[in-house]
Amino acid sequence: MAGESALSLRQRAEKLSARLPPLLVAAQRVASTVAQGVHGRRRVGQGETFWQFRPYDMGDQPQSIDWRQTAKRDRVFVREMEWEAAQSTWIWRDTSPSMSWRSNRDHPDKRSRADLLTLALADLLIRGGEHVALLGTGDRPASSRAVLSRLAHEIEAAGHSETSLPPTLPLPRHGQVVFMGDFLDPLEEIEQVLQSYAGNALRGHVLQILDPAEEDLPYRGRVQFEGLEGEAPWLLARVESVRSDYTHRVLHQRAGLQAMTRRMGWGYSYHRCDHPAQTALLALFTALSHSTAW
Amino acid sequence: MAFAQPWILAALIGLPVIWWLLRLTPPAPRRFKFPAIRLLTGLSAPEETPATTPWWLLLMRLAIVALIILGLSQPLWNPNERLAGSGPLVLVMDNGWGAARYWPNQMAEAEQLINQAEREGRNVLVLPTAPAAEESEAPSLTPLPANEARRVLSALTPQPWPADRAGLAERLAELTLDGRAGVVWLSDGLAAAQGQAADTALAETLGGLGDVTVYTYPSAALPHLLLPPVTLGGAMTLQVERPVGAGSSEVVVQAYDEDGSLIAQVPLSFDDGETTGDVPLDLPAELRNRIAVLAIAGENTAGARFLIDERWRRRPVGLVTTEGAEAAQPLLSEDYYLTRALEPFTELRKGSIAQLLERDLAILVVPDAANPLTPEDRLLIEDWVRDGGLLLRFAGPDLAAQLEEDSLLPAKLRRGDRVMGGVLTWDSPARLAPFETTSPFANLAQPDDLVVKRQVLAEPSLELANNTWATLSDGTPLVTAAQDGAGWLVLFHVNANSEWSDLPLSGLFVEMLQRVLGVSQGVAGRGGEVLQPIEVMDGLGRLGAPAPFVQPLPTVTGAQAAPAEESDPPAGTRGISPQHPPGYYGTKEERIAHNMGDSQAGLAPLADLPNQVQMTSYNETSELDLKPWLLLAAFVLLLLDLVISLFMRGLFVAGSWRQQGTTAVLVLATAITVHLALPPSTWAQSANSDYNDRRALEATLVPRLAYVVTDDPHVDDISRAGLSGLTLILQRRTSVEPGPPLPVDLEVDELAFFPLLYWPITGEQPPLSSKAKEKLNDYMNSGGTILFDMRDPAAGSQILGQSSLGSQNLQRLVDGLEIPDLTPIPPEHVINKSFYLLQDYPGRYTGGTLWVESGENSRNDAVTSVVIGANDWASAWAVNALGQPVNVLVPGGHLQREMAYRFGVNLVMHALTGNYKADQVHIPFILERLGQ
Repeated sequence: MAGESALSLRQRAEKLSARLPPLLVAAQRVASTVAQGVHGRRRVGQGETFWQFRPYDMGDQPQSIDWRQTAKRDRVFVREMEWEAAQSTWIWRDTSPSMSWRSNRDHPDKRSRADLLTLALADLLIRGGEHVALLGTGDRPASSRAVLSRLAHEIEAAGHSETSLPPTLPLPRHGQVVFMGDFLDPLEEIEQVLQSYAGNALRGHVLQILDPAEEDLPYRGRVQFEGLEGEAPWLLARVESVRSDYTHRVLHQRAGLQAMTRRMGWGYSYHRCDHPAQTALLALFTALSHSTAW
Repeated sequence: MAFAQPWILAALIGLPVIWWLLRLTPPAPRRFKFPAIRLLTGLSAPEETPATTPWWLLLMRLAIVALIILGLSQPLWNPNERLAGSGPLVLVMDNGWGAARYWPNQMAEAEQLINQAEREGRNVLVLPTAPAAEESEAPSLTPLPANEARRVLSALTPQPWPADRAGLAERLAELTLDGRAGVVWLSDGLAAAQGQAADTALAETLGGLGDVTVYTYPSAALPHLLLPPVTLGGAMTLQVERPVGAGSSEVVVQAYDEDGSLIAQVPLSFDDGETTGDVPLDLPAELRNRIAVLAIAGENTAGARFLIDERWRRRPVGLVTTEGAEAAQPLLSEDYYLTRALEPFTELRKGSIAQLLERDLAILVVPDAANPLTPEDRLLIEDWVRDGGLLLRFAGPDLAAQLEEDSLLPAKLRRGDRVMGGVLTWDSPARLAPFETTSPFANLAQPDDLVVKRQVLAEPSLELANNTWATLSDGTPLVTAAQDGAGWLVLFHVNANSEWSDLPLSGLFVEMLQRVLGVSQGVAGRGGEVLQPIEVMDGLGRLGAPAPFVQPLPTVTGAQAAPAEESDPPAGTRGISPQHPPGYYGTKEERIAHNMGDSQAGLAPLADLPNQVQMTSYNETSELDLKPWLLLAAFVLLLLDLVISLFMRGLFVAGSWRQQGTTAVLVLATAITVHLALPPSTWAQSANSDYNDRRALEATLVPRLAYVVTDDPHVDDISRAGLSGLTLILQRRTSVEPGPPLPVDLEVDELAFFPLLYWPITGEQPPLSSKAKEKLNDYMNSGGTILFDMRDPAAGSQILGQSSLGSQNLQRLVDGLEIPDLTPIPPEHVINKSFYLLQDYPGRYTGGTLWVESGENSRNDAVTSVVIGANDWASAWAVNALGQPVNVLVPGGHLQREMAYRFGVNLVMHALTGNYKADQVHIPFILERLGQ
């Protein structure tokens, strides 16, 4: 059963990602060496392929001079090769109980949306030749198609985690992380975690997924709210009277998160469960392309 | 207002506590899981939230509790007074015949009294006053608990015999009860049939048991009694007795036949001070003879129904016939005249005297042809007449020629006959003198032209004048009658055919025979045997099979059981009793009605009871237990409270499926309640017949042309416009003034209203159902005319075969119709001359052949039932709202349209007048031959 549903999840994810062109994620290092000419039309070669000739400049190593070309012309040319290192991306999504909640049957809960987006993103990245791994599983980033099915099984089999923030793990420098979750924890705690990654020279992107009810608070009357992670219940006599205060707080949380990611040079995007998943994936795609393009 | 369980009211003290508790508890909040609760924590509503229930909800909940408490304490509206005494309740129930009229009231009152006794914890003794049919069924004299007593009470029914209060008083004489009983006597309001003493005796006996309360009805509500109707001559007079003579009142008496259908109903009014009222029932003898039951409308007692038997019925009449003598000219024979006169209102038997007298007869009719009578017949007749028979004889040549003395004549006759107005006589034919008021023929109207040409004459004697029922204008008797023993001898001094007089030709003859029949006494009750019960009434006046305890009825010896005016019902043996309830007794052939009215006359209201008895009348407003109503109100309020609570907790916000479900359930519950409360509507049933009635009126108030609706709206429009145009022409030029034309759906509408049906043949019209075909066949057979229009110039010359589309459609549509033999219209056909003189029949097209019914078929006044053509007449006739022609004609021209109209006029005239015009065309020749 688990295999079957994992398959269906994978199929859905592939279907979703198939609508976007393969994502070319250029490494920051490549970007610094090959500032221009990075575009999404070419696949990255395996490291031995020719890239371009260029007139010799002062400081170039003599070994890099292509003598044959130099002999044809009256100037000295240097042969440059394609960059051969693929970028590794670690994806993490929130698996705490608060994600497995939805206010309405019309849309999926936050957890399943996060799962779907995780796998779709992984698919996209693998098509672009990137190496992908789930953060926290201990696997090495890999880029074969087989990875995708392994990821799907891992995502399906995952239970609930205790915390709603990514674990602080030592990752190789210049890697890339993508965090998905509701990020409703206090901003200081979130910043502490993100900073540990950003300080390690990792680039990252934060996708905040919220249920529409969490944004709008559509309740009325006398309601006792109960948390899903052991928070103390809160009784409100007239929910509608605190709605504006609440939405203000939600906006504040989002603004804080956005400011925080900008400070670290990370990307931030926001997704509501009642919106189509393509929107979120497109936003991720755009954000990742943008961040890698520069 | 009183409380049956007042101690429960003490619980009302608890109300403030409930109030305090309700105030303390705020309504429970809804609970929601919410992941973003960290953002909510610390938020609170800016305004003060109502921590307690709103005051009006509090008040409503208190009202619910108060209603429940009040309801449980069982408050009573219009409570009865407490029962008198302390011992058991003695409940005397009058269940004689008179109690049946308002029996449900009496039962309801008794139930209430038992309920009251139950509340007071007292036993009940139920005592019916009508005697039980069998001794074993007599009620026990032991007071029973209320439950048992209720069962005894529910087994009581009104009995079809009078109450026996004296008997009850005797049985109660030795009864002793614990303590002083409360005695209630639910009476039927009538005094005992045994007389005042019985009532007094019962009241005194009851007074010995405890304080007595007697319930009676007001005098207007007392039962009436139908007395035996009196038959005098041909008329029947209904008689009804009422118990109280004061004031004037009215009842309606209805007469039903054997099957229970109403024959007549007459209002009968009582004058002030009279206890009996009567009204004549004027009915033809045939109808009167059908009456089986008389009933007072609105009363269902055994006394308000009166069974009619042979004594009030048509009488068997024997007509003596002689072999062969009359066979030569049967239509002139006396036998024929008498048969025609007697048959409608009597049971006529024919045969020889010996044969006829073997069975019971009311009248023996001896026409002249039977004379002279043989000595044996004479003896037979004499015995029969003395027993009460009526011998009706007619004079004639044979009687006039009779030589010897005849004892079976009311008067002595002269030999020979007297001829008036003959060739050899001076005097003219005699006329009738007006009837004496003492004569049975009194008040009969005489025709002016009635003459008597011959008669036999009576010897003058002293009794002759008394014995004469009718005389001629010269004073000679025409009808004489004499009593002989219990019977009568009646002689008409003329014979029974038109030979001697016009009398047998006139209606007066029939009326006179009816009166003679009224004098006779019928046949019933002459037998000497015991009369077995056939059908008996129950207490509500319904006939049914007799119970085993019903005994045969002894016959009355000697005296006749006739409904005679002066007959007194013999008391005692034939009275109404449990063994002899009212009903039919005897044999199937000869049954005797045994009626309450025969013996129970002399109604009186229950009055003059001893002084210590308290009289009261039945309650108009009965005791009402408010308990269920209060509990119902509490329940409704509870439901309302539930709804309000749900609303306050916000459960009525649309959006979530669960909330919608709740709303749906509530709406459904409301809908079911409303549906149960309202009676099912019946409008749908009447709508259809209403439409039919309206359509029938529309179609018949003025004559109208009609066209068959095809499935092609364009063709239908043309048909309507065409017939409108023709209608206009008819109104202008002829005396036929039809209304606007009507469409006819062959499957639905009635065709019989229309003389002419225009039927355009289209390819679209579906074939007819068999029902419609049957209707069309009926229409054609009963004189309707159908004009089939194939609207196709190619069709027409050949209507059979596959020559054209129009004729194919025609064949398809008329398949199954009884189309008569057809022929091309001959030049001498009536259609050619019924109004205009025509030679051809153009419509929109000219030419074509017109086919009509062929042959010399004279049915339906020689109106052809079918006219088939193809010239599309409706298009030629069609006019718009301004009366202007709509369609262009082919080849065209004013003359063609005029001729089309003329054809239409002729056709309508033919359909309406038949062959009248065919006769008219001969007039010039007839006049010529007459030489004028």
